[in-house]
Amino acid sequence: MAAPMMSPADARQHAAFTALMWALSYPGRPARLPAAGPDALGLIGETLVDLETGFFTPDAALAARLARTGGRGLPAAAAPYQFYPRLGPAELELLAAAPVGSHAAPDLGATVVVGCAIGQGARLRLSGPGIAGSCEVLVGGLPDELWELRAATVRAPLGWDLFLVAGELVLGVPRTTAVEVLPWPM
Amino acid sequence: MAYVAARGGERAIAASEELHGRLSGPLSGELVRAIERQLPYLVDRVMGEGSLYAPELAALALAQTGGDLYEAVLLLRAYRSTQPRIAYAQPVRQGELRTVRRISAAFKDIPGGQILGPSLDYSHRLLKLGVLDGQNVELGMLNVELPSEQETSSADEHSAFNIQHSTLPAVADWQRAEGLLEPLPAGEPADPAGLPDVTREPISFPAPRAHRLQSLARADTGGVLALGYASMRGYGMSHPTVNELRLGYAELTLRHPVTGVAFSAGRVRVSQAEVVDTGAGKPGESPLRLGFTATIGWNEVKTIAGAMLDLEMSAPDPHPAHREEFVLYHTEPVESSGFCIHYKLPHYVTFGSALDNLRKAAGEGRREGETLPEATPSAGEAK
Amino acid sequence: MTLAELTHPRQDYSYGFLDAFARRELRRRILKAIAIPGYQVPYASRELPIARGWGTGGLQATLSVAGPQDVVKVIDQGADDSVNAANLRRFIARMTGVETTTDTARATIIQSRHRVPEERLAEGQLLVLQVPDPEPLRAVQPDSSQAREMHADADYAQMWLSLYEQLVRFGRFMQGASYPVIVNRRYLMSPSPIPRWDTPALHQSAHLTILSAGREKRLYAVPPYTDVRPIEFDDVFFQVEDQAGRVCMITGAAQKFMDELPQPGGGSRFRISDTGYVEKLLAAARGEPTAIGPTYYDDQGRFWMPGVIRGRGDGDS
Repeated sequence: MAAPMMSPADARQHAAFTALMWALSYPGRPARLPAAGPDALGLIGETLVDLETGFFTPDAALAARLARTGGRGLPAAAAPYQFYPRLGPAELELLAAAPVGSHAAPDLGATVVVGCAIGQGARLRLSGPGIAGSCEVLVGGLPDELWELRAATVRAPLGWDLFLVAGELVLGVPRTTAVEVLPWPM
Repeated sequence: MAYVAARGGERAIAASEELHGRLSGPLSGELVRAIERQLPYLVDRVMGEGSLYAPELAALALAQTGGDLYEAVLLLRAYRSTQPRIAYAQPVRQGELRTVRRISAAFKDIPGGQILGPSLDYSHRLLKLGVLDGQNVELGMLNVELPSEQETSSADEHSAFNIQHSTLPAVADWQRAEGLLEPLPAGEPADPAGLPDVTREPISFPAPRAHRLQSLARADTGGVLALGYASMRGYGMSHPTVNELRLGYAELTLRHPVTGVAFSAGRVRVSQAEVVDTGAGKPGESPLRLGFTATIGWNEVKTIAGAMLDLEMSAPDPHPAHREEFVLYHTEPVESSGFCIHYKLPHYVTFGSALDNLRKAAGEGRREGETLPEATPSAGEAK
Repeated sequence: MTLAELTHPRQDYSYGFLDAFARRELRRRILKAIAIPGYQVPYASRELPIARGWGTGGLQATLSVAGPQDVVKVIDQGADDSVNAANLRRFIARMTGVETTTDTARATIIQSRHRVPEERLAEGQLLVLQVPDPEPLRAVQPDSSQAREMHADADYAQMWLSLYEQLVRFGRFMQGASYPVIVNRRYLMSPSPIPRWDTPALHQSAHLTILSAGREKRLYAVPPYTDVRPIEFDDVFFQVEDQAGRVCMITGAAQKFMDELPQPGGGSRFRISDTGYVEKLLAAARGEPTAIGPTYYDDQGRFWMPGVIRGRGDGDS
């Protein structure tokens, strides 16, 4: 018997999932998605969201695409999957309310997907599980307050897990990663 | 070579399966149809535990496994895993069941009447040895006149009972009206899509009511009976009476995805038992408490024993064997039977690991007067 | 979305057997497991056409991760050729079309029951361990809801007590396989019934480990480069199974995890449990070109990373 075939949609979601899995396993090392930019956020949504879970995004076009997965649209304070193509001060306020799980069920902490720029911008030093020692990455297009907010709300094992998406690249920042914003050398 | 070291393990697997098949003989559509038609109670048991209403597939599973019940249930469950959920059916109300059999042990007569229906309860359990000598047992040989509405004129199972008793009220409704039972929670039943679903999330304890009833519906008949019997025999805290036992057909009602119009997608055999506890009841509370179990297919032993376990699990301090976690985990047919047979798998790595300790402990065990180390938990300990 | 994306030739089963909802759910849970090292994530755990307790948890993880480009190795007790490993490998290949291998170094996914291969796993490799009982607290707390609370509070006092009691009664720790570990200094975790010999391989590993219990409906993970410490006392250490004096009857090699084969008339002979590794040693002995990767233990039995197995002076070399 020949093995069943992946449909093209299956194949894209499989590639997106493996990118997410490795990005989260090795924080600080970007993985490659089979889609870029806004399409990448949509694809991540299709990979993770269906009628058995819910999502939030402030972006109308993305919300329409995610609704087609069957996922329930939920407010930011309740949504397990959150998508922010751009993270500005207003979005940061929404993110502040994102679920962090409980000690009995820390896995109820949200998954947050954010558009950004990788390879330029703030110098971050990451350490924690998945990183041998520590590593540095450049991430731009995010408000500095994101890292302050994260430090204040994410206390592993409670917290939300971040995927930073730039073009085709995705960077995983699980709740266990310590993020230090470094000053520029000069 | 030992079974683990066999090179070409795949050939061994195929040969083993072939040998198994030789005992039960060839498979055919005819055999499957015969099982479906003539062993409905067996088919029902497999469907109930398999958690999938599909008589034809259940019959196929039975044929394919040579009648190994646990294997047949697993086949059905595994098939179920491949089927997406396309819609939620509307809730079925007890009073709307097309009832073919209804017994209450609590009252001599009940509104709507006692209906003995199909059963072997009062048959003499004598083997019909004449069949072995070529005597056929045909329908109608008992020389009894069936009530006209139950005329078995057709071999079609759905019309075999030509169901008329479609709106028998629940005994519990009368008891509620009399103030003997807590009233039902007000309001419409919850949206089926929002119900906790044991096939979509693992059970956690204390279990939501939906999880408990779903688990009992899928439970192993023998397991439920064993634990239920322990309660009946005297380990239980309650003193139950069968309030109502029902076998019948439930209408599977769906809503059209576009028009929203409700329509029937067919009828399924269901059974349910309600037992009532006369022993408990604190001052100020209703004197009676209900235990309930329902399942797809007709399975009286499971629903009665399950309803009693439902009562026990709700008791304030049940016997350890009647605690919710104990009952629901250990009556799961696929998990319990699978784990039981997994002990046939090689375990020589774990066995060797234990042996290493035992040999060392025997050889260099602590001698008299030897001082113990201080035993400070290492830095690896959680903060 | 186009019609072509939605349609494909009729086939009896979806790719990877599981339907799209089951696969998506598993993927969601796997990501959470990686984000919370050592925490048992509950999941629905669908029934598979393999009996429960025979690796259905590992299978669900493998089936939801594997794609046509993967190379899969399946072992049971270290053996690629056992009937059970052959059966699981056959099912995975049948449902995903992956290439299969016995070579640890070539595999992208290794599904295993009760062993970690002797050759060190590398970055980008996924080890899927089949788990019969995910709950390390079961022996001290059979009630799973209470065990869950103990994990929530990181209250492992009963575990330490039981360890101390073993010391008092037997003069040593008596836990054989499934030796409990603390992951990332937070969660007590059962590493599945791997021998203690394999436990240190999970500490600060280059590879990702997913552990999945199908019957108990829990999956958990050890990400790469994560602390995994066996529970032990500062003055009484965790010990691996002693392989000293054991020589593999097939390869003549020593200081690898050995299967003991009782001999008629008494005594035992030994053979290396990792059959893929044995294959490579034999090929090398025949002079065939073979790339044998670095192993977790060297020929003197020293663990590759100093200081992980305490009190053995592995780092002195």
